[in-house]
Amino acid sequence: MTDELQLINAAKAGSADAFADLVKLYRKRLLRFLLTRCSSFADAEDVLQDTMIAAYRYLHSYDPRWRFSTWLYRIAIRNAQKMRSENLVEIGELSDEESDPLLHCIAHSETENLWVSARRVLNDDVFAATWLRYAEDMSISDISKALDRSDSWTKVNLLRARKALDTEMNHKNNGSKAYG
Amino acid sequence: MDKLTKQLKTDAAMIDVQVSDELDRRITASLQGVTPERPDLPAKQPRPAAFWWASSLTGVAAALVVIAIINVQSQPKSDPVQQVAKTSPVPEVTTPTIDWKTESAMLTRPLQQELEDLQSDLKKAEEKVKRDIGL
Repeated sequence: MTDELQLINAAKAGSADAFADLVKLYRKRLLRFLLTRCSSFADAEDVLQDTMIAAYRYLHSYDPRWRFSTWLYRIAIRNAQKMRSENLVEIGELSDEESDPLLHCIAHSETENLWVSARRVLNDDVFAATWLRYAEDMSISDISKALDRSDSWTKVNLLRARKALDTEMNHKNNGSKAYG
Repeated sequence: MDKLTKQLKTDAAMIDVQVSDELDRRITASLQGVTPERPDLPAKQPRPAAFWWASSLTGVAAALVVIAIINVQSQPKSDPVQQVAKTSPVPEVTTPTIDWKTESAMLTRPLQQELEDLQSDLKKAEEKVKRDIGL
């Protein structure tokens, strides 16, 4: 039995400490993901907290056939959508470093971070699928579960996202060469 | 690993996020205050076979009692002839009441005297009418 499964079983038995240890494995990754979907750092932190609470409260409904991270990401995605619909702020409207939590957390570099470009050219769900695939190394099946989509949708949209990002990356490289 | 995948992974790693101690404390405190929901109660233990036999017999007995009560209640309590008479389709004869708008006469003298008085009153009335119409 893995450590994760032991912690899950202990948390299911009512141990908040076991659950706290369990979520320590994921909270940083989740917060990083939520920064790409929330309009402020505070919102991302609130969504992370709500996600942890919801996961603990409904832990009995967790199906061990799923990866625990997939289940957590699914809750986080729903909570982030809820938060954004309440705040009515479009992420695309955030363009300066002061207001955009993602830009605030990216180390300075000469070229634009590809995830910033991805957020601009991809819609929410496709961006999330791309993030889960390339930043979290999730399988197609897990991504589909997390987003509540079919495997076909995930495959097709990952392919489209790759094409869009490839174009974006080549455009930047050509631009930097031209101006370099 | 192709160039795009490598770039996506590299750029994801460049997003540096730290969970602050304050957020950590908030989450821990929140979890302490949350009571996990319990799963639904497990299914009830199956009843022993004797229970179903006893249940069936009780049901049959109850049905018999109900049938017996209904039969007893449907028995005629009085004479059948009277029952027929009561349920006869012919309506009972009733005397209609007519409003004659009459007044009762107070007979204080012998009837012959009363008759004469009435005839006299009638004659006077006839004369009065004739006089009124000019005959």
